[in-house]
Amino acid sequence: MTEARHTTDHPNGAYIFKLYIAGGAPNSVRAFANLYAICRKHFPDSHRIEVIDIMKEPIRALEETVLATPTVIKLFPLPEIRIIGDLSEENAVLGALGLPQKEKT
Amino acid sequence: MNSQAHPSAMKKIFSGIEGFDDITCGGLPLGRTTLLMGGAGSGKTVLSLQILVSAAENHGTRGIFVAFEENARRIAANGKIFGWDIPSLEKEQLYFVDACVRSDVVRSGTFDLTGLLMALEAKARQMGAKVIVFDAIDVLLSLLDDPAAECRELYRLNEWLTLHQFTGILTTKVEDGQPAISARYGFMPFMADCAVLLNQRIADRVASRTMRVLKYRGSPHVLNEVPFVIGPQGIEVGSSNGVHPEPQPFNEKISTGVERLDAMLNGGIYRGTNALITGSSGGGKSSLAAAFIAAACQRDERALFISFDENSRDIVRDVAMLNIDLAPYLDSGLLRMESVRTESASSEDHFMRIKSMINEQHPRCVVIDPLSALARVGGALAARAVAERLIYLCRNKGITVLFTSLLEGSDPHLETTTLHVSTISDSWIQISYALLDGERNRAVSIIKSRGSKHSNQMRELIFSETGITLADPYTAGGEVLMGTLRQEKETAATLEKAGAL
Repeated sequence: MTEARHTTDHPNGAYIFKLYIAGGAPNSVRAFANLYAICRKHFPDSHRIEVIDIMKEPIRALEETVLATPTVIKLFPLPEIRIIGDLSEENAVLGALGLPQKEKT
Repeated sequence: MNSQAHPSAMKKIFSGIEGFDDITCGGLPLGRTTLLMGGAGSGKTVLSLQILVSAAENHGTRGIFVAFEENARRIAANGKIFGWDIPSLEKEQLYFVDACVRSDVVRSGTFDLTGLLMALEAKARQMGAKVIVFDAIDVLLSLLDDPAAECRELYRLNEWLTLHQFTGILTTKVEDGQPAISARYGFMPFMADCAVLLNQRIADRVASRTMRVLKYRGSPHVLNEVPFVIGPQGIEVGSSNGVHPEPQPFNEKISTGVERLDAMLNGGIYRGTNALITGSSGGGKSSLAAAFIAAACQRDERALFISFDENSRDIVRDVAMLNIDLAPYLDSGLLRMESVRTESASSEDHFMRIKSMINEQHPRCVVIDPLSALARVGGALAARAVAERLIYLCRNKGITVLFTSLLEGSDPHLETTTLHVSTISDSWIQISYALLDGERNRAVSIIKSRGSKHSNQMRELIFSETGITLADPYTAGGEVLMGTLRQEKETAATLEKAGAL
């Protein structure tokens, strides 16, 4: 999954994320903030985040087998990656996205 | 069993599994949480699915099955093995959620089950579901990787079920062996209103399954461990608790197939009862059993002969020498003979097979030869429970059943059977060897015959080409004479008579 960012599967080469949240739950709010920060930093001009609130679209979560909230799915570039949690462990997210991880202090 | 049998205020949902409804005194608690625990392959998934299918099929209760470990499609497909029509139930009554935890999922930070519960709530409302199964909840919880969070989420789930008055069924793996419940999920039974532990054990290299209701808040339940099998129709629980209506007793007596033995029994044995024939090896138990079954067929009654470890064709050939011809009845289908390998299965499995043979053949008379074979694998205790259930099964169906049992040990006076079934048998015929003057002769005696007079004599059992019969009792000096001694005495008596004339 490391070299995936060089893919040309997507016309714009943009990073596309789906974020499943449960209304205004604190960890959902944190997940959005963390994802947004990572995108701003690493793909400032080429990212898109679709937020799906399970409270509003509950059946969709079942169809896409989203069990835990918050859940992030990286749709593009391929391969698809699922991350669960509020994304507070940044290195785990960076590793999953194939980005250089931060040095531990 | 109806709800009136248990004057408990608690509302329950029938599992549709007879023995299971017995041990839980009416089924699972309605609108509460039930926990099914067990090791890998102990039958948790099948049991939960069967309860869900039964609720949908028999009571129109709709349900959702959330599969965390196995593929939901595969679980639904497995239902076909047990004859459950899941595809048609899926149109309205059942909904499967494939919630397999993917191995490539990345964890980062905290999360919870709020989203899943919101989604399930909406789905349940949409389809009107009342029962929700969470299969392999431990797999979901292990994702949290934090005991405190696991506990918190489980309570969240339980509160959610209670709030919406869903009947929840959670299944979870527990470690095999003792303690039965791992420390990690030790709190689970405290949370649930009803907890059932499923076990799979190996005894004498044969696997047997048991289940036990650990707790049932606000309801009586059977404390004992009960055996169960996963048979062709799903799970069948062998409950010994069953309060079944007593069948009407028959007043008719039927023949044992040996005229003189009938006379000793004051006309034969009562229909719908059971008779036990005990004896040592080679004593002629199977031959007597064949005579009984031949007599049933002569009366045009359907019959079933189950022999353990002996080929049915050998039996037919052997008894043909005794003028008992079973072949025409076998050909016409009036008689069914089945030979079963003892070592092939546990006594519980044997019970289920015999039960399905009885249901297929609809016999009025059954022979099980020998019943003691059941005890050879899986332990005498389990075998005894099975023997008792066989007896009750036949009694409830009004079937007259004849068991044979091997008497072990060298002391023929030690009248004990391996399974101690003699206490629940209605009639008990014993074949023993009488050793006298260097001869070994077969002797038959009746130890008991419930509700009927019977002879207390010991008579010589004679097998010949003309059939099975009993010799006239011949006593001399207070001893029953048999074999050559009897013949001599008989001849002498005849001569004496002739001389007197």
